[in-house]
Amino acid sequence: MISNIVVGISDMKMARNEGVLVTYALGSCIGICLYDPVVKLAAMIHIMLPVKLGNSNDNVFKFADSGIPETLRKMEIFGAVRSRIVAKIAGGARMFDIPGNGSLGNIGMRNIESVRQTLRAQGIRILKEDVGANYARTLYFDCKTGNGVIKSYGRNEIVL
Amino acid sequence: MEIRSYDEMNKDEIDVFREIGSIGTGNAATALSTTLSATITMSLPEVNILDYSTVSAFLGGPEKIIAAVLVHISGDIEGIMLYLLDLNFINFVLEKLNLECIKTYEDLTDLDKSAISEVSNIIISSYASAVSQLAGINTRLSVPAMAINMLGGIMSVPMSEYGYVTDKMMMIGGNFVYENQEMTSNLLMLPDIKSLNFLLKKLGVICD
Repeated sequence: MISNIVVGISDMKMARNEGVLVTYALGSCIGICLYDPVVKLAAMIHIMLPVKLGNSNDNVFKFADSGIPETLRKMEIFGAVRSRIVAKIAGGARMFDIPGNGSLGNIGMRNIESVRQTLRAQGIRILKEDVGANYARTLYFDCKTGNGVIKSYGRNEIVL
Repeated sequence: MEIRSYDEMNKDEIDVFREIGSIGTGNAATALSTTLSATITMSLPEVNILDYSTVSAFLGGPEKIIAAVLVHISGDIEGIMLYLLDLNFINFVLEKLNLECIKTYEDLTDLDKSAISEVSNIIISSYASAVSQLAGINTRLSVPAMAINMLGGIMSVPMSEYGYVTDKMMMIGGNFVYENQEMTSNLLMLPDIKSLNFLLKKLGVICD
């Protein structure tokens, strides 16, 4: 039994052949699982914001538009082939319904748009997704089977 | 000197927020005592500057279910305040309002939620008026928004709101005490960085 590999906030972890990647309580953040089923190489990214602004020295995995290409580059080094890589995404919730204030708390939607756009630009297909709504999600991804599981408060488990 | 992140505040500057916290908690305890007709006192507040990656662990783990009330501050300063309530405190409030106590968050009725939201609003307003009075500024608060969910998900809201400028947050923890029973009270006070500098200047701790 191998213990779960925990992916933190603005973080990325990879696993090959076996192992379960997990990221806890995604709110407006998005968990992106990238998987090459042939070599059984999986990566999970936990991004917080949609786009990298300016030339900040921030962690690349904090942003969708910088984290995804960097992860794909690393996966290719480890033997994954771009055309085989597929994606599953979860998160991007709107945790608070704030009356009369449009922009605050709407970062989830912008994250979803940026992740989809970045994946499309990189030629990666989204197999499954569970995004939006108003609840937090814990995302598991099993490297052996390529299946994801989402656990959330007061809702049934979803297989991704 | 301009401050670029919460963790750049020195001891004097943090002390200012401890003082604001102290006045705020005091005001809140008085307001709560009146609302709930119970004598509530407070413990000395602490101010913690927490890293994004450790804040969830500090408060009990990312998957812990918690109730939170979020308010947007505007006016002379811009920012958000997030008040976190645990089950213990919720039950205390419900009991004092002659409502039924709950075992899990799922038992909360709409009336309970509305009561909790109102009490949180009173607490948040107490802190906001402490800041306004001390600095001599005007602030407005938005209508409170409540969420009951995983702590990590709730924390992602203030984190991503200021994610471009900082990866730290400021938390004021001042416990309420009722008949020797301590109840945790955690408030995230997050003026944006421009407002933080403005506030510290107004309060005379940083000079031009």
